[in-house]
Amino acid sequence: MDATTVEKIVKEIENIAPSHEGAHVGKVVAVGDGVVAIDGLSKAVMSEIVVFEEGKGKKLKDSMETQGELYGLILNLEEDGVRASILGETSRVSEGMTVKSTGRILSVPASEEMLGRVVNALGEPADGKGPFKKTTMMPVERQAAGVIDRKGVSVPLQTGIKAIDAMIPIGRGQRELIIGDRGTGKTTVAIDTILNQKNEPKDKRPICIYVAIGQKESKTARIAQQLREQGAMEYTIIVDAPASTPAALQYLAPFSGVAIGEYFMDQGKDVLIIYDDLSKQATAYRQLSLLLRRPPGREAYPGDIFYLHSRLLERACRLEKGGSITALPIIETQEGDVSGYIPTNVISITDGQMFLIADLFNKGIRPAIDVGISVSRVGSAAQTKAMKGVAGGIKLELAQFRDLEAFMQFASDLDKETADRIESGRRMVEVLKQKNGAPIAVEKQVAILYVAGHKFFAEVPVNKVTAVEAQFTQFLDAQYAKTLAEIKKTGQLSDELKKTLNIAMNEFQLAHKELFTQK
Amino acid sequence: MEQTYAQALWKMVEGGMSPVKAVHALRDLLKLRGREALLPRIGRAFARIAQREGKRTGVTLSVAREKDERAAKSAVKTVLEEIGVEPKEVNVLVDDSLIGGWRLEGRETLVDASHKNELQKLYNRVTGAVSSIN
Repeated sequence: MDATTVEKIVKEIENIAPSHEGAHVGKVVAVGDGVVAIDGLSKAVMSEIVVFEEGKGKKLKDSMETQGELYGLILNLEEDGVRASILGETSRVSEGMTVKSTGRILSVPASEEMLGRVVNALGEPADGKGPFKKTTMMPVERQAAGVIDRKGVSVPLQTGIKAIDAMIPIGRGQRELIIGDRGTGKTTVAIDTILNQKNEPKDKRPICIYVAIGQKESKTARIAQQLREQGAMEYTIIVDAPASTPAALQYLAPFSGVAIGEYFMDQGKDVLIIYDDLSKQATAYRQLSLLLRRPPGREAYPGDIFYLHSRLLERACRLEKGGSITALPIIETQEGDVSGYIPTNVISITDGQMFLIADLFNKGIRPAIDVGISVSRVGSAAQTKAMKGVAGGIKLELAQFRDLEAFMQFASDLDKETADRIESGRRMVEVLKQKNGAPIAVEKQVAILYVAGHKFFAEVPVNKVTAVEAQFTQFLDAQYAKTLAEIKKTGQLSDELKKTLNIAMNEFQLAHKELFTQK
Repeated sequence: MEQTYAQALWKMVEGGMSPVKAVHALRDLLKLRGREALLPRIGRAFARIAQREGKRTGVTLSVAREKDERAAKSAVKTVLEEIGVEPKEVNVLVDDSLIGGWRLEGRETLVDASHKNELQKLYNRVTGAVSSIN
């Protein structure tokens, strides 16, 4: 043992004064499935943290061997006792065990040290990189900001995904739902959004929080690895409540995530939080509620399932004094059914939703966003003038293309105008395609959409549009970096910038005649 | 079902009704509802409630050694007054795992002035084994 440790122990012993403070206690009368019935604790309050006393009757050596303290969260106050969920291993609790009240409502630590780290639903490090030195405790349940404290959404949050930034724009402080079947790229959209924040200047870059609820640990590990490799972990925190953790922690994880987000928002910073996914949180809450013997309602969900999500998502806002939380909740649907109980609840709570469709995904259109039924209710107010100018007609053009495409299956003869529209629509679909993990900075998006709107790709074979687009982007990067920087800086596409882009288009076409071979 | 009836019986007696009268009233009610068969189960549930209430109201003073009893009893005097318990109602238990000091538990109150508790706290502080939510 080193001298510092010895000194520390001696100092601590000197400070020991016999404690005579009484603790408010109860006894475990029943335990099972992560839920305990406790007799006593008549002064306990809802959401209070209790500690299970594991050392009673054990020798000091044995009680020192237990893995930290075991906590419970009071969720039901009953006539002759309370019911609590165990925030840890159920096997550590036994009947007759003393349970101490702490008088504290559940809080999680938050600090700048958490950036780049993976934490569990209680805010404790889960990546083996050691404890946090200095933290501030943030309440897990907190009333959302009121009307007076809020400000309208007017600052864009760029996702780096052309289809979203152009047609379903998201603003800072908005809640935009990502909904779709499994395997349609919901998480990819969310992760690309985190990756794209690297394109933001450091002082305006939002802190990103990715909350993994009921996910496979391998998936979360892969995401952490991807973020680390692409340099996005330095502004990201991962709150992990994998499928192997108790339902109570899966239910708590989104609340812990937003509590950490509020710590940064209170300092005037912008935060982006992703809940992946709230369907699994609802399932965990249903399990917990049934075990707590709360009356089941539709699909066996408890009566307050709507309130569970509404109070969570209401905490996303933009504050008058500065700072915001933008929430991107994810909901998984079954067989594309968006009329399910949980999907409709969350659709009605959020400020818009983007639907990811399996059919589009299977056709190779990625991100597989169905722009016809996806909306953003407040984001357009946050779109830059440049983007508004170039993206105005795209949604309509694509909607018309989809209609014509369906009609085309029955018609053999098409007039020239219809045929042109279909050709143009096909190329626009190609332009909006994007690889995963490759978000595009907003100024490049503006340039691409501008040239696409000016028939730049009209003579490019459909299957080569993506490749030509990539080449043109490289060309702009190399030859017109100043123009791109100007678009980024001003957020506008002035007549002069338009002229420059027209020149760039012509230059590129002349230099790469072989690419423009099809009329 | 029997739990509810037993609870009602307990409340009747606690409310001042004589035990015999309370049992007869309950029997008459069960007869009226055709549920007399529940009586033995109600009896067992009542015994469980009594046991639980006994545990809830009982107070135990644990000491590490028999010879510590007197010192511990004088130390807990104020605590007992606070929770409204007469010193003679206290059960004394010897628990050598306490190492020294004493531990008083009962009536939803726990006062742990044992050496084991202090050493455990010290261990947690030194090793940083305290959870961040604590």
